[in-house]
Amino acid sequence: MKSPSLTLDRRQLMLGAATASLVAVMPVSLSAQEAASRGGVLRYATLGLDTSDPHRHTGSIAVQQLYVEALTSIGPDGRVEPFLAEGYEVSDDGLTYTFALRDGVTFHNGDPVTAEDVVANVERVRTNVKGGWLASAMKLVDGVNAPDDRTVVIAMKEPYAPLANLLSELWIVSPKSDGWNETITTPIGTGPFVFGEWKPQISLYAPAYKGYWRGDMPYLDAVEANLREDLDKSGAMRVGDLHIASVPRDEARQLAKSGDIHVSQLKDSTWYFVSFNNRKPRPPFDDPRVREAIMYAVDKQAFMNFLAGDDGVVTNQLVMPGHVYFDQGLHDADKHAKPDLEKAKAMLAEAGVKPEEITIEFLSWQENYPQVVVQMVRQLGFKVNHVALDDLGAQNRLGQYDWDMNAMASGPRADIFLRFVRLMSNGPNPVLWGGVQDPELDAIVEKAVAETDEAKRKALYLKAWDRVMDNYYTVVLGHAANTIAIREEVQGYEPGFTWSPNWATGGIAQTWLKQD
Amino acid sequence: MAFAHAHGSAGPQRSGVAVVAPVKDDREARAASEPVSDPRGQRRASALGALVGGAIVALIALAAVCAPLIAPHDPLAQDLLSLNQGPSAAHLLGTDHLGRDVFSRLVMGARVTLLVGLGGTCVAFVLGAVCGLTALALGRIPEAIVFGAIDVVRAMPGILLALLLIVAIGAGTGPVLLALGLSYAPHFAYVARAAYKREAAQDYVRAAGLFGGGRLHVLSLHILPNVMGGLITQGAIILPRCIVTESVLSFLGLGSSPDAPTWGRMVSDASRYLEIAPHAILIPVLALIALTVSLLLVGDAVRAHLDPLRRVQAAKGAA
Repeated sequence: MKSPSLTLDRRQLMLGAATASLVAVMPVSLSAQEAASRGGVLRYATLGLDTSDPHRHTGSIAVQQLYVEALTSIGPDGRVEPFLAEGYEVSDDGLTYTFALRDGVTFHNGDPVTAEDVVANVERVRTNVKGGWLASAMKLVDGVNAPDDRTVVIAMKEPYAPLANLLSELWIVSPKSDGWNETITTPIGTGPFVFGEWKPQISLYAPAYKGYWRGDMPYLDAVEANLREDLDKSGAMRVGDLHIASVPRDEARQLAKSGDIHVSQLKDSTWYFVSFNNRKPRPPFDDPRVREAIMYAVDKQAFMNFLAGDDGVVTNQLVMPGHVYFDQGLHDADKHAKPDLEKAKAMLAEAGVKPEEITIEFLSWQENYPQVVVQMVRQLGFKVNHVALDDLGAQNRLGQYDWDMNAMASGPRADIFLRFVRLMSNGPNPVLWGGVQDPELDAIVEKAVAETDEAKRKALYLKAWDRVMDNYYTVVLGHAANTIAIREEVQGYEPGFTWSPNWATGGIAQTWLKQD
Repeated sequence: MAFAHAHGSAGPQRSGVAVVAPVKDDREARAASEPVSDPRGQRRASALGALVGGAIVALIALAAVCAPLIAPHDPLAQDLLSLNQGPSAAHLLGTDHLGRDVFSRLVMGARVTLLVGLGGTCVAFVLGAVCGLTALALGRIPEAIVFGAIDVVRAMPGILLALLLIVAIGAGTGPVLLALGLSYAPHFAYVARAAYKREAAQDYVRAAGLFGGGRLHVLSLHILPNVMGGLITQGAIILPRCIVTESVLSFLGLGSSPDAPTWGRMVSDASRYLEIAPHAILIPVLALIALTVSLLLVGDAVRAHLDPLRRVQAAKGAA
């Protein structure tokens, strides 16, 4: 099997990929050159930076991709695109991935990036890093080698379809980086900006790398990422202390009225869902009929209207309409597209449940939207003990599995597998989804992952999702994209598919600041 | 009530040791010799303040008691098609970000707010005053243990201690009351200790001991009535502080449950919508200010009334 963007012949593949990369980069580059002014410091605040070691990250990817890049990146349409690799090839049996490295890429210390460097990075993640997003992928890597200076071959023990997407988060760092054998303290990457001065929870100052491989980019002198959690981003955007910031949707609407700020969105969505406790469910919430009845009380359209207005999408699936893994038939057959209180009450009565005698232990983050769900559930007569916690507190409490229901959200991911993996018995951090333990579901997802044909893989993922829906492990309420506010003086920037600010065909490398 | 023996009633006389009346102690003698520093105008202003404050507190308490009769809407009911609406005939004080009636939440919120204030103060009284006085009566070792623990609690800023407790034991009204009680217990304990030491040195207490009264007996019948005035005054000071602290905890999302209509939670929820719905934050803020200022005015008046030093001064001034 070949990856969707590649030709069958390797030489053609390399040529095609190189041309595609040039075509992708050049128009932006040329148009930017026509009007771009160089210089200026872009002040940016989206998510945080949890570690200086890119291979050990467990948090967001919103900051580190300023200074590190990977073999692949995720394009604005969600498809994987070659990045530090000019192109790649997957063998027909899905077991061998061959990457051709891009010429002219250098680390921030001036050293050229070689195949051996890439091999060293993959080996480091395989052997030194425990847990995290890449753990399951790395367990399946049989070996990685460099047949020549420009080629890297990754051999898998079994086919693993998400690999190319997941490699967009295996950042290539110079083995000369401080702390390589333990924890990297000063990563030497290949990105448009250099890991400059990092003040944890406060800021990262990243000056431009003059030897960057993409034409005459970057145009900015530096990027300063504000990492403060208590920052009033809207206020800072208004007065010009920030140029780009992630802001809640209701604040974004206000900012958009100011005239010198426009609002855009990440291209992938955050999905909102209700989960039941699947690890240790207590009666009557262990009965799928009761779960189904409760969900008939939830008005998904009203919920999404409240959350995102016209931008909210009501569906029953893990992805938005238009996504390759979206299924229109399944969407049209959503039993909970409209609420039906009478049916819900009848089903509860049939199941012998007296809601007025039951208190639902309901967990959420400290957000507004769970209160909407709680109030809808109360219409059935249940008492609801709603406990709203901060991120760490919710994580801790959810892991105790002493609750019945939650209302949560999960953000963009580089591959759909990273959404399904949370529903697997041994998946990373499954607490938001109630710790599903279903070997049959695991087997279907594993088959999907190993399937090299995209159509068949989609069918398997949909089969897995059917099982999730039938058992009411998790019920999707809808999708809405995260809103990003951008000041008018920022040119050449459009948010990408995920939180990453840098990818092969766009991002912060091509961004510039209009001078007064 | 307090200072019962000073009025010639209750404990000391029943135990037969009221021969040495504390009203004759050196405080009163000192007060009698000091010039009067409280002019009549000031007293009248204080009395007026207490009257106005008392009326506001009574009004809020009445609203809290009759809340279900007054509130025109269910304070939890959401109208997702009427978010952040200004005052209207349908919603006297408008709606909040979830389309809930602000007036109904304000009225019902008075219940929780007063409950938290009174509850927190009571817990603090029990933990600080009762435990402290009992330890003092039982001897040096219990005193050292209890006041050692109280010193540790006192060493931490109150709001920080409350935050730590809530994070440790979870949010909700019960944990909040406990957190408030623990945070403010030292205030009662120190007042109780000072008053206890002062009274324990008095002859009437020694006499009660000589007549065979046990430690707890002497404490409950002779000392307690003489320290209660100071403790009640302290309560009047602590109560509004509990309300304000609960507001802070709710503002931080750590107080009562997320949809509970407490005034602090209302402020917290509405703060994100300041621009589009200023009424939703202004109303609970004004209510909080009115209640806390009123409680302080009432507390000040109670302290003035119960303080024998002031009473003597006032009597002398009147004469």
